[in-house]
Amino acid sequence: MSVPAGVSLEAIQQDLVDAVQFAASAGLVVDALALSEESLLFNITFENRLGEKFFAEFDCRNFPLHPPTIEFTDAARQARGLKHLYPNVFHGMPCVCMRYNRKAYGELGGPHGEWRVVDWHLPTDGGGPITTLAMIISDMHTKVLDSTGRIN
Amino acid sequence: MDVGGFFRPYILLLLGDYLPMSQEKENESKQEPEEGGPPRVSLKIQTPRGLWSTTEPANAAKRPIYPISTKIGQVITDAREVFTFTETGNQYVLLHLQTKLDSERTIASYHLVDGTLLVLSVQGGNAQ
Repeated sequence: MSVPAGVSLEAIQQDLVDAVQFAASAGLVVDALALSEESLLFNITFENRLGEKFFAEFDCRNFPLHPPTIEFTDAARQARGLKHLYPNVFHGMPCVCMRYNRKAYGELGGPHGEWRVVDWHLPTDGGGPITTLAMIISDMHTKVLDSTGRIN
Repeated sequence: MDVGGFFRPYILLLLGDYLPMSQEKENESKQEPEEGGPPRVSLKIQTPRGLWSTTEPANAAKRPIYPISTKIGQVITDAREVFTFTETGNQYVLLHLQTKLDSERTIASYHLVDGTLLVLSVQGGNAQ
């Protein structure tokens, strides 16, 4: 089952209102200029306390039925999914191993075959539910701040 | 001649402008420091569900105006209450720029001044 692109776009734009305000207050750069029905993507630049920048891409196809697929890229957004593009606080696969990331699900080759993608609002082990784009950004921001470098 | 009747609509208009302001002043006065109490500081708290300030959200039951002796943990509790962050299991942390504020320390210990913007960060779990 898939969500029409127009419906996803509306849901993303609605969710981004709080997300962009939160990100701006946290000093994060959000690039949603290319967001459209044809490209349900936006990007956020995170930074750790050492000043290292990490570039995350949020692919929101089928949102909000499914969570975004979150992938770290290089600054030019050409290379993606490589270990050295990830802060060293995430799974070494590499993957942001949270229910809010489609990449973590077994059906997409992720490590969690026991999760169902439609249950993405449920809590991930060791925490509570993370249910909006703003909360996802908040969670990632806090974790990236604590990173001391990149996955080797 | 009923002069009062002529002016009544204008008086009502003026009251319409005046009443919200007087209500605002009343709310502010509720948070005035007691005589001889510690100084107070007015903060702004950005959360994933919106900004908490002296004016936002309009229907907030309380405002982020605190005696400087208040612990950071109390500010977190109040911000969660205002935005109904009732989910259990998540960690809630206040950030000032990139610094995590210790919930056991006071506002004064961080030298926070009027208008300081803090970020309430919500952190979930971490699966392996």
